[in-house]
Amino acid sequence: MMQKILQYSLLGQSFFLSAGRAVYWEGQRALVLSDLHIGKGGHFRKAGIPIPEQVQEEDLSRLGELVGEFDPKKIIVVGDMFHSAANSDLDKFKRWREAHSQQEVVLVKGNHDILKKEKYGEMGVQLEQDGYGLDNVVFYHQPPETAEGERFTISGHLHPGILVEGNGRQRLRLPCFWLPKDCLVLPAFSAFTGLFLVKPQAGEKIIAIADGELIPF
Amino acid sequence: MSLSNIGIPREGRFFLFDPEFHSTKQLYLKDTPGYKILLDWFASKNQHPFPFQETAWQHFLNGKSGLLNAPTGCGKTFALFLPILIDWINQHPDWKDRKKNGLQMLWITPLRALARDIQKAMQEVCSEIGLPWEIGLRSGDTSSAERQRQKKQMPEILITTPESLHILLAQKGHPAVLKSLQAVVVDEWHDLLGSKRGVLVELALSRLKNIANRAATKQELGSTLRVWGISATIGNLEEAQQVLLGNDHEKGVFVKTDMQKRTIVESILPDEIERFPWAGHLGIKLLDKVFPIIEKSRTTLIFTNTRSQSEIWYHTLLDAHPDLAGLLALHHSSIDRELRDWVENALSEGLLKAVVTTASLDLGVDFRPVDTVIQIGSPKGVARFLQRAGRSGHAPHDVSKIYFLPTHSLELAEAAALKQAIENQTVEQRQPYVMCFDVLVQYLCTLAVGEGFRPDEILEEVLSTHCFQYMTVDEWEWVLAFISTGGSLNAYEEFQKVEKGADGTWRIASKRTAMRHRLHIGTIVSDAVMKVKYLKGGFIGTVEERFISKMKAGDVFSLAGRTLEFVQIKEMTVYVRRSKVKNAKVPSWLGGRIPLSSNLGETLRNVIQQAAQGDSDSIEIQALAPLFNLQSERSAIPSEGETLMEYIHTKDGHHLFVYPFEGRLVHEVMGALLAYRLSLKMPITFSIAMNDYGFELLSDQPIPLEEANLAALFTTENLFDDIQRSINSVEMARRKFRDIAVIAGLVFQGYPGKYKQDKHLQSSSSLIFDVFAEYDPDNLLLRQAYQEVFDFQLEEVRLRAALERISTGKILFHHPGKFTPFAFPIKVDSMRENLSSEKLAERVKRMQVQAG
Repeated sequence: MMQKILQYSLLGQSFFLSAGRAVYWEGQRALVLSDLHIGKGGHFRKAGIPIPEQVQEEDLSRLGELVGEFDPKKIIVVGDMFHSAANSDLDKFKRWREAHSQQEVVLVKGNHDILKKEKYGEMGVQLEQDGYGLDNVVFYHQPPETAEGERFTISGHLHPGILVEGNGRQRLRLPCFWLPKDCLVLPAFSAFTGLFLVKPQAGEKIIAIADGELIPF
Repeated sequence: MSLSNIGIPREGRFFLFDPEFHSTKQLYLKDTPGYKILLDWFASKNQHPFPFQETAWQHFLNGKSGLLNAPTGCGKTFALFLPILIDWINQHPDWKDRKKNGLQMLWITPLRALARDIQKAMQEVCSEIGLPWEIGLRSGDTSSAERQRQKKQMPEILITTPESLHILLAQKGHPAVLKSLQAVVVDEWHDLLGSKRGVLVELALSRLKNIANRAATKQELGSTLRVWGISATIGNLEEAQQVLLGNDHEKGVFVKTDMQKRTIVESILPDEIERFPWAGHLGIKLLDKVFPIIEKSRTTLIFTNTRSQSEIWYHTLLDAHPDLAGLLALHHSSIDRELRDWVENALSEGLLKAVVTTASLDLGVDFRPVDTVIQIGSPKGVARFLQRAGRSGHAPHDVSKIYFLPTHSLELAEAAALKQAIENQTVEQRQPYVMCFDVLVQYLCTLAVGEGFRPDEILEEVLSTHCFQYMTVDEWEWVLAFISTGGSLNAYEEFQKVEKGADGTWRIASKRTAMRHRLHIGTIVSDAVMKVKYLKGGFIGTVEERFISKMKAGDVFSLAGRTLEFVQIKEMTVYVRRSKVKNAKVPSWLGGRIPLSSNLGETLRNVIQQAAQGDSDSIEIQALAPLFNLQSERSAIPSEGETLMEYIHTKDGHHLFVYPFEGRLVHEVMGALLAYRLSLKMPITFSIAMNDYGFELLSDQPIPLEEANLAALFTTENLFDDIQRSINSVEMARRKFRDIAVIAGLVFQGYPGKYKQDKHLQSSSSLIFDVFAEYDPDNLLLRQAYQEVFDFQLEEVRLRAALERISTGKILFHHPGKFTPFAFPIKVDSMRENLSSEKLAERVKRMQVQAG
């Protein structure tokens, strides 16, 4: 399914937010996403909880579609790319990687990324321990508590979601992009993740994802 | 109509005539040495056994299984505990010297708190007659040293809970310690029956029976396991017996006490009904009428429906009557066990004037000083009301006295209905669970962490239970595949849980998985809670995580009747200090909303109709006259054959109220059904609220109603399909799945202070529900969630009957200018369902515009 995109201007440059739960930075030809949690289903299955394998297949096929759509040079994952210790789900990712070997993959280490160091190299993933910078944007797994002066941050970790309320006492929870001051917090990429509801302060923007569409708040 | 009589069941229906009862083949009870010894023991207390006790003893000596219908406080424990002693003495002339005889009887009780009192009573009898038996306890509180000791040498009688029994079955070598077992007694079976804990009991019994049968070398009578249940009066005693005994039920007998208890009900009426609130759930307005009742009684139990309500009542009573300090106590299930023990002891010793409580004192030992009960708010069912009334006047021929205190006007109509139902002796049924694959999955893993199991043997046992008697081979194989490979279709390569050994025995090999399973045995699913402790030490109780997560240091809340200042959270414990601040927040524990039973719903409809016709002699209905007048003025009161609908437009949106008086559960389904049918006409979103009297559909857009054809909305045509679609679109099945996922071990609940969760295995049941629904729609656990909605929520027969009644009757459609007395309590209810036929993105955009 073709996901809706929304062009967004930051620091005078063009960013495309996608309802496929990622953002494309045109100037750097970089696709940025967070919280992919590869191997989560496998981790559950190893503990006797039968989560269907299709869950990860769908995540990876959506990632493939985004790569096809934007043709990035680089894929930056701002943490929690892998869920836990190694399991056979990683082999599936390796196959995906072989089919998408043109792109460089950079991972900013998240709290879930606990694989042995050499594993990342084997999968063609460049591991960055303490954040990563491009131009005047820095990538951290966790959103910083205070804005870092001139620089803009892109992060993940929170799995941000928004509670929408309307007349007739309607309530909905939706995954979203959250834009506090000088920061962009990405929605969790994997569909097998929960939501952390954020309450935007004045001046902060939220772009919610619903039915493959993007709705700014 | 599903009404049944409280009285003695009719002969021939299920009162089995037992030709062997006094036949020559059998021991005649009164001729046996054991009986004589017990009779002497009774005589030493200046007492004599009741006839029903002797009847039970004779059946027991005859090797029978069965059900005893007896209320608490009439000697039911002695009816089923003493015969094992009689039998033992009869068979062992050297009974005074035989020690360490192995397990003879298991006594299963739903409440840990009951166990200790029963143990004390039993141990006393043994030592007084000189029988060297040990009576043991095994529950969540039992130390591991004690458990180890029991493993080496079982006591002759073990008192335990369904969960602890399953933990015993999770032990290696359980058949060896259980094979000497002669009898199992399940106390308070009516309470276990209507829950999945009853299924735990059924499965454990199937295992115990098979172990006993295999151990029996001679096929003489008495060598196979005797199974007895004790049940208070419910509407389906016959079924209760069938469920307990499984495929042996045809040989079961039924014993009933000859004691009838009289209950007096009195409503507490507000002085001016015009000024009494139309909605609400606290009842504090009638506080002044409560104190005189407490004053003139010896000890009063004040029952509320929720824990937070009990906290508020406790504080308010103390504030208004400071002289009650030290004489008034609070008791509910979130208060620390030690504090509750103190309250219970003080109650028995007559040191308290009153105790504010919840369901935590519904069951349990007798508190003799209690002579009065006050029920605050509707108890929602006749059985629960009678149970609570029965907590007063405990001696066999005493009268139970209960006051009903309404929390809003219309509850007085419920009081009238309760009185009528008690007079007509109609008590609710307890519906047993069937085909609980979640419990079966858990049970098989329980066996697999201990002894391991052979599928053929266990299948036969499982099929002998009432719960799984109709399970198909395919379903059984699905369950086996689910726990061994992850599913029959999927067969995941790295899946690890139960493994098939080379010897044909299925086991859980991983120590980690086994430990996690042991910690999660049971079917009681609670919200994540945290222990509350003073900085200086001393536990107070528990609060839900979601409540405490909203608190900041310095905030003040109330628990166990104390005002506490929140200091910090450390190591999953909430640290507090005492506070003198007024207006503390009261934690709201989830759960606690009880739907009106169908029996009471029907009686309530009759009461309202009588009110409409103005020919009611009930004092409650007479007191309600001004309210009913206002209802007629603004709209109407439906009489027999009529159903009322009201349409009101306010700034909140368009409200449609419907009043079938069928109880909350049926209204939830009917509301979703109507919303679904209306949503077919145009893209529209509804929020649905309901109470026991009716339901409301609220929309931001005008509701597309055809006034000439309202009956069509209630048609029973396409009912099954429409319900299925409407259930799919609301959250009912998802909510049922929450418990199922925990019981089947898919989601782990945390235990306060006990167990650190494996962080990478956290997920919500809702997420797993979505994943199964999308990729594994035939998953039996998912299907079970829908089935539970159908079985327990929808009560299809009742829903169909209600729809037919409405669609063939007359519909009164009114446009009141203001909310009516009937509408108001529904409108203010905050728990709501949503149903929408709009595209998600469209809906969000419109909500955005509305929010401005």
